[in-house]
Amino acid sequence: MSEPLVLELEVKPLDFLAAGETATQFKETLKSLGLPPEICRRAAIVVYEAEMNIVIHGGGGVMRLQVEEDKVTIMAEDEGPGIEDLELAMQEGYSSAPDFIREMGFGAGMGLPNIKRNANELYIDTAPGKGTKLRAVIYLNKGR
Amino acid sequence: MAHGVKIVEQSCRGCVNCIKSCPTEAMRVIEGKVRILSEICIACGECLRRCPHRALLLEEDEWDYILSKRPMTLVTDPSFCTQFSWPPIPELMTQALFELNFEPIFDEYEAAYDVTALAVARAIESSSDNLKPLISTYCPAVVRLIQIKFHELIPHLVQVESPLETSIDLWRARSKRRDPVTLVSSCPARIAMVRSPVGRDISSAEFAISTSKLAREVLIGSGDPSKKVSVDHPFRVPRWIAWAKTGGESMHVRSFSSRPIKTLEVDGLRNVINLFQEMELGKLRGIDYVEARVCDLGCIGGIGNAESRFLSRIKIDNMKIDFNFNEENREKLESIYNAKIWSLRERIVPIEQMPLGEDLAKAMERLKQLHAVYADLPHLDCGTCGRPSCRVMAEDIVKGEGSLDDCIFRLKERIADLSKEIYDLSKRLVHTMTPEGKS
Repeated sequence: MSEPLVLELEVKPLDFLAAGETATQFKETLKSLGLPPEICRRAAIVVYEAEMNIVIHGGGGVMRLQVEEDKVTIMAEDEGPGIEDLELAMQEGYSSAPDFIREMGFGAGMGLPNIKRNANELYIDTAPGKGTKLRAVIYLNKGR
Repeated sequence: MAHGVKIVEQSCRGCVNCIKSCPTEAMRVIEGKVRILSEICIACGECLRRCPHRALLLEEDEWDYILSKRPMTLVTDPSFCTQFSWPPIPELMTQALFELNFEPIFDEYEAAYDVTALAVARAIESSSDNLKPLISTYCPAVVRLIQIKFHELIPHLVQVESPLETSIDLWRARSKRRDPVTLVSSCPARIAMVRSPVGRDISSAEFAISTSKLAREVLIGSGDPSKKVSVDHPFRVPRWIAWAKTGGESMHVRSFSSRPIKTLEVDGLRNVINLFQEMELGKLRGIDYVEARVCDLGCIGGIGNAESRFLSRIKIDNMKIDFNFNEENREKLESIYNAKIWSLRERIVPIEQMPLGEDLAKAMERLKQLHAVYADLPHLDCGTCGRPSCRVMAEDIVKGEGSLDDCIFRLKERIADLSKEIYDLSKRLVHTMTPEGKS
């Protein structure tokens, strides 16, 4: 097993113009490795949604992509307010995004459910005031 | 693969303007001359727009050769009709081209464009939601862009033939004639379509020339046809002319839809790329059809036009185009539809790019090397190494297609190091010398 490949990018708070850049860049990386389009697509969606969460709620943070021979891991870390009720946040349509963000067409409450749908494993470590750490794993030899 | 772009070596000064405009990074400057990596070129024509030395031209067939072949049938892009001071109606265009001894087949366009629009409308109606929005295949550069850079979107491409090809097929079927056809094109991508078609093994056209070339010959050779042919006022403008400008296709498709559809019309290369990136992220839910054109304003903005795209737009906007289909022709249209003449015969497939390594472990190793090489480069994307960016340079080096010394900044550093070493060496004393000076 060779050393995992790690890529790290900083995500700035409320920077809607740059939002999606991490997803695009990580996806290009996965494509250049010759991974199947289906894996690249799922990973890009996970990265995009996690990135948007950091932009909207997290007050900025760090996105990390880790590629190993059998899996792709996406990590998102912020030091924002944390998620109060994780079970509620996992429900489709539930959103705590403020009005001005919804007016821009974001914050539809699909972020976390979308991540869950596209990843094989999802771990979230969060508590109010403690920030949020998200880790999603996509296995290369497993379907959804 | 053909790309419809011709490099004029004597004019190329290796200035790297063009390689920086390429959306797929398919250009390099090698030994002072530009090269195109044809397998990843989408034939959009951006490089032609950027070249200040006219070293990049459309790869059209020789005009004299086209003239020497008789009879010669012409299929012109609809934008051809907007190139002149007279109204863009087929009767006048036919007269002008007859005088140059060409046989245009405008008569087939109405059926060809109608059946195309009908086929698209039906494809939208029968498509499942997860394949929506469907994407128009009218712009060949858009198709190639998706084949090369947006593989996930390939199932969204609507499997409908270009109506220009369909009109030739209809003409051949009706007239039973086999003499050659020349496609008149306003962009490199349509010229490439004649040489390396997508979705069919061989194009129905044999030759290709540019709109600007033919327009110039018409202006010199035949003059204003409206002085010779009388047209009824108000004249009837056919629907297919609307396809010359972005939005025309969608209007036509909508006129054949049995229920309201949501279409999105986007033009300009940057906009099209942004749209496809968003689409890959699943952000275009609720849209039924995407009409994307790489040229600003659509085909009237193609690099091979003679007329200003802004004036062409005004001409189209000022015309009353009737999108209401004459139901008397319904039976004829349905019979053409049922003949499936509009359908792409082959599926559009992705053009795979070589991954960095044969397997994932090797590719990961290469990517790590690539990151290391990249970190050592100046990140100025100056282009002096002949590549569009430092990242492409790093990629080429890792693939064994370049050396770090190609970078002028790295070379400068090495020369500085070397001259320091030479200086230090020159200060070293030989044993027969004393430190005070010469013996």
